[in-house]
Amino acid sequence: MISDNLILERGVSAGDAWIAVAPENVHMALGALKEEGYRLLVFLTCVDHLADSSGQFPARFEVVYELRNMETRELIRVRAFIDGDPPRIDSVHDLFPPANWDERETFDMFGVVFAGHPDLTRILMPDDWVGHPLRRDFPVGGEVVEFSEEHETWQTAPEKA
Amino acid sequence: MTTEIGQGITVTKTGEQGAFGGELLTINFGPHHPSTHGVLRLIVDLDGEQVRRLKPVIGYLHTGIEKQAEALRWQQVVVVTDRHDYLSPPFNNLSYALAVEKLLGVEVPPRANALRVIMCELTRISSHLVWLGTSGIELGASTMLMYCFRERDTILDMNEEISGFRMHTSYIRPGGVMADATPRFLELLDRFCNQMPGNIDEYEALLTMNPIFRSRTIGIGRLPAEDAKVLGATGPMLRGSGVPWDLRKSMPYSGYESYDFEVATSDLCDCYGRYLVRIKEMRESVKILRQALDGLPDGPVNIDDRKVLPPPREELETSMEAVIHHFKLFTEGYTVPAGDAYAAVESGRGENGCYVVSDGTHKPRRVKFRSASFVNLQPLERMAMNHMVADMVAIIGTADAVLGDVDR
Repeated sequence: MISDNLILERGVSAGDAWIAVAPENVHMALGALKEEGYRLLVFLTCVDHLADSSGQFPARFEVVYELRNMETRELIRVRAFIDGDPPRIDSVHDLFPPANWDERETFDMFGVVFAGHPDLTRILMPDDWVGHPLRRDFPVGGEVVEFSEEHETWQTAPEKA
Repeated sequence: MTTEIGQGITVTKTGEQGAFGGELLTINFGPHHPSTHGVLRLIVDLDGEQVRRLKPVIGYLHTGIEKQAEALRWQQVVVVTDRHDYLSPPFNNLSYALAVEKLLGVEVPPRANALRVIMCELTRISSHLVWLGTSGIELGASTMLMYCFRERDTILDMNEEISGFRMHTSYIRPGGVMADATPRFLELLDRFCNQMPGNIDEYEALLTMNPIFRSRTIGIGRLPAEDAKVLGATGPMLRGSGVPWDLRKSMPYSGYESYDFEVATSDLCDCYGRYLVRIKEMRESVKILRQALDGLPDGPVNIDDRKVLPPPREELETSMEAVIHHFKLFTEGYTVPAGDAYAAVESGRGENGCYVVSDGTHKPRRVKFRSASFVNLQPLERMAMNHMVADMVAIIGTADAVLGDVDR
């Protein structure tokens, strides 16, 4: 049973229940939820709140975990807000094996470092890619088309994305 | 030591001792191997012919759909959702549309729901047909492809009739569907519902008792129910392991609770079990199609909200307000209240979900596609372990990953 002191905030967004936890407690909170019956990690991702006008988010990156209880058919969303360069959070691959690839993808796309992940490498982008494409400050259409004649390398992502 | 043995295959000896006295060989399988159904690369450690380690390498078909979605307006994103799981676009459309509708707080009319169900079930059949045809080729029944693509073509004809496109239909969109079904579409659908059960009998006559097919699939790629759950598998992968989990029944959406159908499961937990599940699912889909067609409610196919969907063409000539709405919608788009929502649908491959985050503007802040193939590829090592290389082909086949869906 997840104890109330782990939960910073709880709410409902468009009918979906969610709780917010402190980033250092994510592993503990997800472990408690797993005990409670939320055994399936539906997905894990990150949202970049760079330059959000509402100002309601405590940090730039929001790591989102969606868990499902297959007996009661309930879903719960767990949020953790992180900052830093690179942003860091604990890996949960030991609790939920599917998190392994999800965390690699989130690292690849947002540069979130998952501490304790066994193989935190790029999964979708080429290994020598610079930058993290799904960050809001990474430009769309910034890369030169491969095989064009004017460029020496197709790698034109900004050094500091 | 790495040796090039032609056809792009390199072999590395790892130096580790295998059970048969020889060294383990590391083989690069793919990314351009025809049985990988796209561009999937597998790094396989072989002990003789047996698989001892397997590591899928993905990303060869990454198209940045999620990034692109952030640069498009809400109604434009529908077009890119088509393209991740390119064998079943309506499921992608539907999960996105349901998520956006959740944020907008709107319910689509009953006729739109029925048309959505019809398109989804047709696509489930066509997606299973592609799977069945290609799996047949890989497992020594090359005529299967001809039979399967014959029926798939009638489905593509129906797609064309209802949406104008054969594959990337973009038919389902937030607020309803693109257009009402034409009489010809309903006629084609009626004919299809009458013919399809007989066609499925034909496929079964070719494969179900076929000794070659059976020996290539029975006992191959076992995935016990507990493992399937732990590894997060969904769809036929999970039901083929005997777990009756189907979002259409378990967490109904779009009016699936009103249709009478069974959830196909198999306790065999192997490639053959997954084959049986998909065959049964096609039969159940035909049942749903028949019910949806017979009980197709009358009424509008879109919500009556001019801020989200354009006004009908005929109104543009008589109403100034309609022109303004039309202009605003196609220059600025609509805004969606800030918040986030997740909606999931049961696609041919499993749970196809969409998580959207809105910051209250006319473009999404984040669109995340939870694709079934991405998760269903991870049990591959568990399933292929200690099997022969040739069995790996059957196992990749029954995992039914669409690489566009894996890499998005």
